[in-house]
Amino acid sequence: MRSDSFPLPRVGTARWIVLLLACSARPDPAAPLRVQYSPAGDSTRLTLIASAGVRINARLKPALELSDGTLLRFDSPSLTADSAYFAGRPSVLVAGPAKGIRGTLRASICGDEAACRPFVLQL
Amino acid sequence: MPRIGPTVVLCLALTAAGAEALESGSPAPERSLAPLAGTRRPAPAWQNRSWLNASHPLTLPELEGRVVLLNFWVFTCYNCTNTVPSLVDFDRKYRDRGLTLIGIHTPEFPPYAGEHDKANVERALDQYDIAYPNAQDNDSRTWKLYGIRYWPSFVLIDKRGDIRYEGYGEFHVGDANYRLWSRRIEELIGE
Repeated sequence: MRSDSFPLPRVGTARWIVLLLACSARPDPAAPLRVQYSPAGDSTRLTLIASAGVRINARLKPALELSDGTLLRFDSPSLTADSAYFAGRPSVLVAGPAKGIRGTLRASICGDEAACRPFVLQL
Repeated sequence: MPRIGPTVVLCLALTAAGAEALESGSPAPERSLAPLAGTRRPAPAWQNRSWLNASHPLTLPELEGRVVLLNFWVFTCYNCTNTVPSLVDFDRKYRDRGLTLIGIHTPEFPPYAGEHDKANVERALDQYDIAYPNAQDNDSRTWKLYGIRYWPSFVLIDKRGDIRYEGYGEFHVGDANYRLWSRRIEELIGE
């Protein structure tokens, strides 16, 4: 037996495919923003985490347009001194469990190039 | 019996544990603050109908013989409003020498954010002492026509109606990019 491998229980082909697909859904390291889901009682807190060098425009607060038409805005009490960008991670509380959250996330992100661009993500 | 490596096992373990859900969006942009020297090509004719600081909707053909600097911006963009003093300065220095500066106000978010509202744009023009014409580009048609990707962006058009220089990013009165844009404007005015 090789030292870097070890036996696993026998599983069906379909189950292997499902597991491999789950493993392939890793975060894109080049993505400027990612969303963290945290349970909060009966709700879920969505928090935006910016990659290094990326700032989130606080003049245009990120928005989550839920599939039922509800509009939610991300916010954080912590802003940069000029109030232009979020210094803390903006978040929003969404009713229900994470798996039920469907909608469009919009954020205005600005980078080291001193220019802004839209970030749109379907949840 | 199937055998797999530790990487796959780790991946399966993380998945089973309900690891943090992560999503990804659009790729990171290329990084360049410097105005880009573009190939000479005809500027496409914009069709914006809603204007501020203009007695009538300006058209590209009527500006033939003048140098035109288009500034794609939106009042919710800090980098854009930080650049406005430079543009106000360009307008003051070069308008009588043949420059027409035009703001193309292109919203970033849907209407609920208020960027489409003409009264809000008007307030921003007052706030930043913008006296040069501005077009509302609420459907982003002119933004798309010019292939713009970032706020703020700039397109410099010569007297014949050809695009000569393009670029994006914040700059300030007196800095290197301000001086570079200033040289470009003077070059085209002098032709």
